[in-house]
Parts: sequence; C-alpha cells; structure tokens
Amino acid sequence: MNKDSQMRAAINQKLIEMGERERLKELLRAKLVECGWKDQMKAQCKDVIREKGLEHVTVEDLVVEITPKGRALVPDSVKKELLQRIRAFLAQHSTL
Amino acid sequence: LISKRKPQLLPAGCSHVNAYKVDNWRPNLRVIYQCFVWSGSAETRRRKAKSCICHMCGAHLNRLHSCLYCVFFGCFTKKHIHEHAKNKRHNLAIDLLYGGIYCFVCQDYIYDKDMEQIAKEEQRKAWKLQGVGEKYSTWEPTKRELDLLRHNPKRRKMTTNCTIGLRGLINLGNTCFMNCIVQALTHTPLLRDFFLSDRHKCEMQSNSCLVCEMSQLFQEFYSGHRSPHIPFRLLHLVWTHARHLAGYEQQDAHEFLIAALDVLHRHCKGDTTNDNGKKANNPNHCNCIIDQIFTGGLQSDVTCQVCHGVSTTIDPFWDISLDLPGSSTPFWPLSPGGDGGTVNGESHLSGATTLTDCLRRFTRPEHLGSSAKIKCGGCHSYQESTKQLTMKKLPIVACFHLKRFEHSAKLRRKITTYVSFPLELDMTPFMASRWASTNYLPPGLYVLVRYALFAVVNHQGTLESGHYTSFIRQHKDQWFKCDDAIITKASIKDVLDSEGYLLFYHKQFLEYE
Repeated sequence: MNKDSQMRAAINQKLIEMGERERLKELLRAKLVECGWKDQMKAQCKDVIREKGLEHVTVEDLVVEITPKGRALVPDSVKKELLQRIRAFLAQHSTL
Repeated sequence: LISKRKPQLLPAGCSHVNAYKVDNWRPNLRVIYQCFVWSGSAETRRRKAKSCICHMCGAHLNRLHSCLYCVFFGCFTKKHIHEHAKNKRHNLAIDLLYGGIYCFVCQDYIYDKDMEQIAKEEQRKAWKLQGVGEKYSTWEPTKRELDLLRHNPKRRKMTTNCTIGLRGLINLGNTCFMNCIVQALTHTPLLRDFFLSDRHKCEMQSNSCLVCEMSQLFQEFYSGHRSPHIPFRLLHLVWTHARHLAGYEQQDAHEFLIAALDVLHRHCKGDTTNDNGKKANNPNHCNCIIDQIFTGGLQSDVTCQVCHGVSTTIDPFWDISLDLPGSSTPFWPLSPGGDGGTVNGESHLSGATTLTDCLRRFTRPEHLGSSAKIKCGGCHSYQESTKQLTMKKLPIVACFHLKRFEHSAKLRRKITTYVSFPLELDMTPFMASRWASTNYLPPGLYVLVRYALFAVVNHQGTLESGHYTSFIRQHKDQWFKCDDAIITKASIKDVLDSEGYLLFYHKQFLEYE
C-alpha cells in the first residue's frame, strides 16, 4: 500500500472508531435528499429497471449503471460541506 | 452452479439460504451485524476499524463483503469475495456497507424475511447507541390500510406543479385577518402532514374542538374543490374560545395567530402523552403538535456590571416581535444597511433595513440603565446590568412579527418602513452563545439552522381601515397571493418586494429525535 492509501486507511479507522463515519453518512444522506439527488437517482434506477426488465435486472446492473451518474451528480456544495466537516474532525483529533 | 433466477415481484429470499439457516444462525448473524456492519459500541467500532479490510488486497473500500460461513473479508468490486465463494463453496456473503445478503448462486442480493428482520433490529440498536437517531423508512401499509386502500380506489396524483391545497376563503365581514392566518397554517408542511394523517384524537365532549375544525379545514383545502371555502364554523369557534377577537371589526392578524395557536394547543390534550403513556398535564411542557412545530426557547441573560455574574432564564415563544426603525422606541445604533448586512443575501436597496438588522438589534446586549437596577445574586444588592436575548431553541416554524402598529399613549399609527427579508434565513448569528459547542457545529456548517420562507402576511392601508392579504409558497418555489377568495400566481419578486407584517420561516433540515 502506498502512502496515500495508508493515510486513507488510517483516517477511515479513526472515523469509524469515533463513530464519526456514521454521523457523516447520515449528514450526507440528509443533504442528498434535500437537494433532490435521491429523487434523481430513483428515477434513473427506474429507467434501468424498465430497460432491463423487472424480472431480469439485478442489483449489480443498477450499481454499474447508476454509480458513475450518481457520482457526477453530487452537488459541489455537498462535497464542500462534507470535506469541511472531515477537516474539522481531523483538526480536533490531530494525533494522525 | 449457476441457476437462472426465478421471476419474483415481491422481495423474497432464495432456497440457498436454507443451508445457512440452521442451528445457531440467528445469534451468529447478529454478531456479524454488530461487529462488522453497524457497530454500535466503541469496542465493536474499534474492532471493525481494524479488521474490516480485504484479506486478499488489504483495501477497505471496493464494497467490502464478509463471507457468512467463515471469517473472510473480500472486495466485491475486485471480485475477491467471488473467488473465495467459488473456492470454498461458501454461497452467501454480506455487504458491510449496507448489510445486504448476496447469494453467489442466484448472483444477486436476496431478501430473506427472517434475515431482514434481524438486520433492521441490529441497525436500529446500533444507531440508538450512537445517538444517530431513527432512520426514516418508507411506509409499509398494514393489512387494515391495504383493505382501506382497496375499498377506496379513488387516487389523486401529486405532481411537481399541482396546486392542490390552494383554496380561497370568503370574507365574512372584515375577516381577512383570519383568512391570512388560515392560509399560512394550511401551508405549514408539518401541520398539514399531521392533520392529513389523521393524528388528532379528540377528547372533547362538545363539538367545540378547534383542532377538529382545523382537521376539517385541511380536508376542505385538500379536497380538490376550487370554489372558495366559507369558514363560518371556524369563525364561530374562534369567537367562542377567544372572546377578545369576537365581533365584526377588523382585528390584528398577529393577535389572531397567537390566539389560534393558544386554543389549538389547549385543545390538543388528547394527542399529548409523555413517555409513560400518561397525559402531560403541564401546559408548559406539552408535546402537542403545536409545541413541536411552533414553540421555541428565548434565552435572556442578565449580566451584572459589577461582579459580571450572569443570571439566565429561558422562556417559550411562538413568535419574535421585532421593533422597526421609525417607531418611538429609541432604537437604531446600527445604521440601516450597515456592516455585512448581506449575510442572508437580502436586497439592500440603498439603506433599506433588513430582517437581519432587526434580529441583530433584537439580540444585542442592552444596557438597562441606572433607573432599572436588577438585584444581583452575587453582589446581594441592586446593580446596573446589561440584558441580552438570544435563541436557545429554535422552533421548526419561526414566525417574525414586524411591529408596524404603534399603540402608545401619544399616538396610534402604522409604520410603513420597508424591511427587506430573505427567502433563506440563517439563524446562527442569533443563537445563544454556548449553542454552537454543545451542538457540535464545526465552523462553516450551517445546515441545522437554515430556514426557508413559506408564507408572508401583509397589511395594506391604515390603522383605521386596512386589508390583509398573504403570499404562500407551494413546492419549492411556487408562490401564490391569497386575497380572501381570490388566489393568483405571484412571482418571488412580488413576495420579496412586499411590505411584510408576519413572516413565516420553516426549518430546512429536520433532525429526528
């Protein structure tokens, strides 16, 4: 593992240990609902299901089709806010 | 072995879990959820943080899955868990992110009823431990609800621009003051949800329950009828319960709002229970829908100028009454349109006063002067002090009352000074000083205190003869002007340019307790 992924793993561990990861997940969930992203994704999923047919579609089909769109559609403001929050958390627990 | 999935329309398990659901499978599965999916306690979290990495490549991302038959973690994206499943013939794995169960034979996630039940319970347990709160889950109808739906096949589809909920109100003789408040209340989303989901259980014997009448009103507004509604029963009930508002002369819309909230709050007794299931008799600690939505806490700090001891009291409030420049109360140390007034993006038409200015004035420390000395607990004598008001608890719906009507001994007049108010309001600068730290608000994060405008009540004319109208918002940005029976489409500019008497703001991010 290179230094970057080592750092990532260390930060991830800290976030999990302090329970912050769950809180961040909740914050993100709320923000994505608020800005309509969840509804957009729901509509996309429905399209994929219609395309593939309800009886044959798998979760994997949806993941493959939706993930790139989902990532692209996250508003910059949401990314910024999450980043700020993570930074603040790291600043508070600066043993890393 | 690859078998074609049988077409199923209901969430169903698959036969391959039967090999797993033997012996002690339940507690085993619970342990997996508690340790590796939704870790509630500090100990399990530490363990999860350390051990949840792919046994083949060490990564913690890539949709990590855990084998259900042995201790093996593998990436889903890189197919490491697939390799393990094939080599060991372990057919089931669990997604450590979302707790879903994957069957390698069916090649899809499956939804076994028993396993889903365990998953739900463990998630709720973990979140409670972490203080994250209840997760919103979509509505699953009960058998009775399904029956009701079958017997009542008529459906109304809500689209993004449907105008259901909009209805005019006939003026019964200077009752525009009441009509405006009714429009604001029927467009308060939480109140609407409360009444449309039939949550009021009436305990009053007579027919004079105002909450029941409000419930009826919501039914009328959301019935789809376009003709204006005649609120004679509501008017009669208001006269019965708030005598000071009876009569056909023009009343103050703000007074009506407070009176209406008061009566509704009193009549909500049947819906109010505390944790023990007993009825909450304390009128100050009620948990009725009115209190849940409208009641905030105003903190008053009185600081002794000699010993600097602070005496704090917190009072409940339903509205914030703001003094305006031009009134006879000595006022503006801040020049209108002064420093940094664009916090809320309010329009600053050269020198116009903003709502933020008024709030700043409301929450600034005030010297009480030598003629109003307060007995200080620390000094044990009367001392000069400063007093400051701040928000301790913000209500879900914040109502701001611009004090345009002056009724002093000397004069009765209306202050028509234009006050600019924003579509979105950030209340952070006006919160009690210790609020930010106790509510873990890192710098730059305002999401918990952002409010959105959804109703404006305006008064045209003079004190002697005037008329009330209101603007209300539907969906995210559709505004309508309500002038008694006449409803017209309005632009955001119309709303923001209006004079403003009562401003209703709704919290944008709700925390679930």
